[in-house]
Amino acid sequence: MKDFLRLLSLMRPQAWWMVLAVVVSALATLAHIALMATSGWFITAMAAAGIAGVAIDFFTPGAMIRGFAIARTVGRYLERVVGHEATLKFVASLRPWFFEKLTPLAPAAIEDQRSGDLLARLKTDIDRLEFAFLRIISPAFAGLLVLIAGVLFVARYDGTIALILIVVALLAGVGLPALVHMLGATASRRVTARSAELNALLVDHIEARAELDIYDPDHRHRRAVDGVSDAMLADENRLAGLGGFAIAGVGLAAQAMLVVVLVLGAPRVLEGSLSGPELPMLALLVLSLFEAVAPLPLACQTLPGTLASARRIFSMVERPAPVSVPATPQPVPENGGLVFSHAGFTYPGAERPALRGIDLALEPGRRIGLIGPSGSGKSSIVSLALRYRAPDEGQISFAGGSVSDYDPDALRARMAVLTQHDHLFSATIRENLLLADPNASPEKLEEACARAGILPFIQAQPEGFDTFIGVHGAKISGGEARRLGLARVLLKDAPVLILDEPTEGLDTDTERRVLDAVLADTGDRSLLLITHRPAGLEKMDEVVLIENGHIVARGAPAEMMRYMDRDDPVSRPDKTRT
Amino acid sequence: MNSTRTPETNPSGNLVLIAGENVITTDRETDPRPDRKRLSAFLSRFRGTARRDLRMTMTFSVVTGLLIILQAFLVARIINGVVFQSQGIGVYATEIAGIIAIILLRFGSVWVTERFGFAAATKVMRAMRDELIDRVEKIGPVGMAETRTGETVTALAEGVRAVEPYYSRYIPASVLAVVLPVAILIVVFPLDWISGLTLLLTAPLIPVFMIIIGKGAESRNQKQWRRRTRMAGQLLDAVQGLATLKGFNAAGRMAREVAIAADGYRRDTMSVLRIAFLSSMVLEFFASVAIAMVAVFIGFRLLWGEMNFFDGLFILLLAPEFYAPLRAMGTAYHARMEAIGAAERMVVLEDAPQLAEPGGTAPLPSPEKIEIAFEDVHLTFPDGRVALNGISFTVPAGQDYALVGPSGAGKSSLLHLLLGFVKPTSGRVLVNGVPLGELDIKQWRRHIGYVPQRPRLIVGTLAANIAPGEDAPDRARLEHAVTQAHLTDVVARVPGGLDGRVGEGGAGLSGGEAHRLAVARAFYRDAPMIVLDEPTAHLDHESAAQIHDALERLLPGRTGLIAAHRLSGVVHADQILVLKGGTIAETGDHESLMAKGGLYADLVRTGAMPEWEPLS
Repeated sequence: MKDFLRLLSLMRPQAWWMVLAVVVSALATLAHIALMATSGWFITAMAAAGIAGVAIDFFTPGAMIRGFAIARTVGRYLERVVGHEATLKFVASLRPWFFEKLTPLAPAAIEDQRSGDLLARLKTDIDRLEFAFLRIISPAFAGLLVLIAGVLFVARYDGTIALILIVVALLAGVGLPALVHMLGATASRRVTARSAELNALLVDHIEARAELDIYDPDHRHRRAVDGVSDAMLADENRLAGLGGFAIAGVGLAAQAMLVVVLVLGAPRVLEGSLSGPELPMLALLVLSLFEAVAPLPLACQTLPGTLASARRIFSMVERPAPVSVPATPQPVPENGGLVFSHAGFTYPGAERPALRGIDLALEPGRRIGLIGPSGSGKSSIVSLALRYRAPDEGQISFAGGSVSDYDPDALRARMAVLTQHDHLFSATIRENLLLADPNASPEKLEEACARAGILPFIQAQPEGFDTFIGVHGAKISGGEARRLGLARVLLKDAPVLILDEPTEGLDTDTERRVLDAVLADTGDRSLLLITHRPAGLEKMDEVVLIENGHIVARGAPAEMMRYMDRDDPVSRPDKTRT
Repeated sequence: MNSTRTPETNPSGNLVLIAGENVITTDRETDPRPDRKRLSAFLSRFRGTARRDLRMTMTFSVVTGLLIILQAFLVARIINGVVFQSQGIGVYATEIAGIIAIILLRFGSVWVTERFGFAAATKVMRAMRDELIDRVEKIGPVGMAETRTGETVTALAEGVRAVEPYYSRYIPASVLAVVLPVAILIVVFPLDWISGLTLLLTAPLIPVFMIIIGKGAESRNQKQWRRRTRMAGQLLDAVQGLATLKGFNAAGRMAREVAIAADGYRRDTMSVLRIAFLSSMVLEFFASVAIAMVAVFIGFRLLWGEMNFFDGLFILLLAPEFYAPLRAMGTAYHARMEAIGAAERMVVLEDAPQLAEPGGTAPLPSPEKIEIAFEDVHLTFPDGRVALNGISFTVPAGQDYALVGPSGAGKSSLLHLLLGFVKPTSGRVLVNGVPLGELDIKQWRRHIGYVPQRPRLIVGTLAANIAPGEDAPDRARLEHAVTQAHLTDVVARVPGGLDGRVGEGGAGLSGGEAHRLAVARAFYRDAPMIVLDEPTAHLDHESAAQIHDALERLLPGRTGLIAAHRLSGVVHADQILVLKGGTIAETGDHESLMAKGGLYADLVRTGAMPEWEPLS
């Protein structure tokens, strides 16, 4: 219920359009009912007049029939256009809203989520929220308005029929939906969960195609996809069965009401308290009145799945951000040093801290090399620097102010960082580069690519910068992808440069050329070079060796080079030193 | 800047983050556009699987229609008797009983109609899904890299789902729209030819208008579906790259991009819906006018005494039922357009080049020893890119060969051919003398241990990732693989150890750890053929050395083909194939190639084939 109210509050900008849609919808249905009732009355009255040979005013009912027919058609059209327009606007606004809510969480607070599942939230779940108004709120309110009007009208002619009508309408409009809800709620919720699961499995099925082709010849993963899909279809089948039952049930109620009118109305016609034409009028009226009831079982059937989708969206939005944003952030200075003072960090749920007592002073113009075996905490330092996570002991400051006083996004504007998990978008080379600087001129792009050593490759492509690099850059080699990522980072104009294994996958020759070009011109920028290879370290002001989350040795490059030797005991993971 | 390109020529079809606020979403117009006939044919192709259920749903909807006629007859009789013959309701006990019986029958019939309609659609959806997933496998890993994953996922999930109303509603409605009106005409004409004629003449207007309007809506519908799949592709990419977007302060721009895409999708959807609503308004309008005409004609003839009341009321009750199935078909026509829109992406998937080697049925002879041979193999991709140009060599059983060469020389393509991810344009790849094209490809792949250049984790536990194809991986073998691949520290770190979840939605692994996990897969499989694509590319010094030790233990006795870019992966190889521009430039072992002083010696001398040299 809380989620439903929250949904309603999100719909507020469209509220008046939605109210209008409900009112028009009710009016259109009433026009339809009136059309049927008037027609029934009209021909009976005409026949009675014909038999009795008396004159009759056929202009008024004729005009009414025409008017109702037009009101019904136009009203139905308007109601649909207004209702859908409002709903789709609501849904369209939810996507960027949700994306913006996800942004502060990434990557730390959403790494337990599969991308296919997040896609399902952004796509399918938000799509499903359109039902909240179109299938649930609108028919419920419009149906209520129509029923009240219908019952009041019938009551003017026959109280008993009106009472029975209330009972039957409640049975069909509340009892039947409640039954359908009871029998289908689990299935409806499961459909929501399973469509997300299916998305996630399909993403794997496609992106891990190579692995599955070789290691899964018996199609185990395929069976999982089929299994989820079949289970979903089975649930939908159950829901469709219930839906069919409900449609038939509403029909049954309407017909039963017709019989009631005939059986109770006939004696009153005979005794003269009801005129002849009024009998078919009431009969057709109650019959068509149930058109307002017909969508209600579906509304109840849709409700659990819609609420489950809303929950999936809100549960993400409710997650606490891994890094708090200050209420009044300090302006971030243009320039400055990034300084770690005794910073420590433990991953949630981990037994051991990932980092302990890290001291690094990345002052303007200073270059620090960070070395150490994989898993020693180098990438955690990057994570802290980017403020994807906050240290749980010690301090990190930029230009003298604690990073926690800045807006994280503004702070990141001062940093150009190549991470280990640098994502290349399924787009062209140019589009990937422009991410760093949307205003970069073609010359600037070329210059960055030249420094990263990727320009000759780009120029050799028939489509040059407009070459499509495939899913996650699958159409280019690992080394090319790395250099493209590096070029992208070089495009970003920021005082702090952090490169996490920038030359991974490159041969020594290219590695040297790339590093020479990158290091030749860092000017006032400070640089943190994280590497497990010796190239470039000689150009650092300081080299820091990190093991098991703490700094075990630091010094000038010349004295630190011995740690790069494979036989040096310090780089053995089993060796601990203080 | 992007000024020289029009949206039509942008090959990638995605979001472009350009020029500050001025973000645009370009269109991937180079996609092949299947014509409407193909799309309809694609949809109808699955009809066979649902034939029985469709027949049932149509039969029962006709039964419902006939019951409606009968009920109208009985209702008209009662009202006629009560109002004009002043008879008590008791006289009509039989009719009342009949109506009650009909009501119950209608209830059952309507329910059964719905059930069979959905059952038919379920069968079609299942068949469609199976076929499309088959396609993904036939296109293969190399071919699938051409399309954004989110787009394919949308075609496979939402696209298939969108076909449901076409089968459960449109097809039954299109039959009922013929049968029931004809039945009503047969009843009405003998009673009153004027009403019959009115119905007969107005009926065709409905389908005619529907088709006229539908034509305009169809292309919009296809556009809307294209927009929908593209948006999914964009959203998945954006979510997967969210951390990178943040690092570049581009998340806000992407949010605006998402807003623009969502709004464009909304507008396209609305333009489709407007037409759908307009068409149903026209349909309702004509139906209303026609019913009103029938009512008025009847009314006046009743007034003039030219018709009896029973006939008049009976016909008036039937008139809405005459148009109901036509209107239902009009509404369901939207379902057809939806399905056609959704079918487009599926047909594109169906038309995508099936790059993967389908193989044949021949069993792999003596699988414990593998000898592979390439015979004048050429590989040209559909876009004209020449990857390999006449490759011939043989790796005798138990030997390991290394592939070296500059980036783009064709090393990965050569491995992909052997793995069956792509099939040769000409020439043959032989395994134990049998061409891959004839070989049972699944059986062949069971005998390969493969480490790709950029391994991908699969959702699930660490154990399931090391042995993805097995329901219950053997613990001892798992632990052996973990030790051999130096994955012990990862297992110790991941909560739950081997049963802990990794990959997306689980504990994160670094690039090097993911690589070692891929090596563990190869160890677990214990296969006679080992294919490695730069196995130590992403490893630090120490891990690389460990992996090399491990591989040196793994390789003896097995056949190996290893793309390598480091000397340490090459020097011990039995033979080294030096690739250049898609051909084999030289062959030999390390010593002979060094002595020869050719391309290989150059690569080594210039440091393009580095050893782990200790720093001087």
